[in-house]
Amino acid sequence: MGDLILTGVSFGRTLLGVTTRPYETYRRIIDRASLWELACITVLISIYCFTARIQVVAVVLTYLVTVGLFWLASRLLGGKGTLSGFMVGWGYTLIPTLIWFWGTSILYILVPPPRTTSPQGLLFSVIYLLFSATLLFWKVTLSYLALRFGLRLDLKKILIMSVIVLPILGLYSIGMYRLGVFRIPFL
Amino acid sequence: MTDALYHKFVKRWEEVVDLPPQTVGPLTPLYKSAVKRLKVMPWPMLVIGSLFMVIGLYLLLGSAITLLVSILQRGI
Repeated sequence: MGDLILTGVSFGRTLLGVTTRPYETYRRIIDRASLWELACITVLISIYCFTARIQVVAVVLTYLVTVGLFWLASRLLGGKGTLSGFMVGWGYTLIPTLIWFWGTSILYILVPPPRTTSPQGLLFSVIYLLFSATLLFWKVTLSYLALRFGLRLDLKKILIMSVIVLPILGLYSIGMYRLGVFRIPFL
Repeated sequence: MTDALYHKFVKRWEEVVDLPPQTVGPLTPLYKSAVKRLKVMPWPMLVIGSLFMVIGLYLLLGSAITLLVSILQRGI
């Protein structure tokens, strides 16, 4: 029980860290590589999936595919990180995704689409896009840190790796869409 | 005080040895300047970046951004 509380507190501190001090927090996350933190992230995602009636298996599969692709590509490019460190690091990049899905789900209930071109509709659209883009940039920042510290790669190799992996993830997302699993992939 | 400074130095030294600092040729000062603002409390930078992106989208799509928002809202 004590360990559980300790893990919870540690996870909470790390969450605060990735929000306010992402750079040094990510160094710590990768060094520590605690798989318990990954379990905490899985619990948070499972709560959302249960509420939104999304298959947890599909989310976990997407996470594993993403991690696997980046890991394989990093091996080709000479990455030296540990798989556990990268897995935990990439796990934290799902926090912005989760916040976006929660926010969008709540807004779907409060202000259901379609949006109109009225001043209120435009204002809502601008605020919603601002919310989405801010989370996207946060996600990009965390992803970069996960790749940089988790796989020990420099910017050039990260860009090369992204050119390799992102189209494959795009095809995977289209496949999931066609199968009716996701309309927007939980990446 | 000296001990604390020494430990800070050793920690930083280990970090640099472990993973050399990122350089991007002549753009290194610009890169360092941008990254410095993202290391601690990145939110002002993230919001400003998003604001530019949304303004760009509005200039590009006009009132059709409402269509984009409808698609995104329906997407989950």
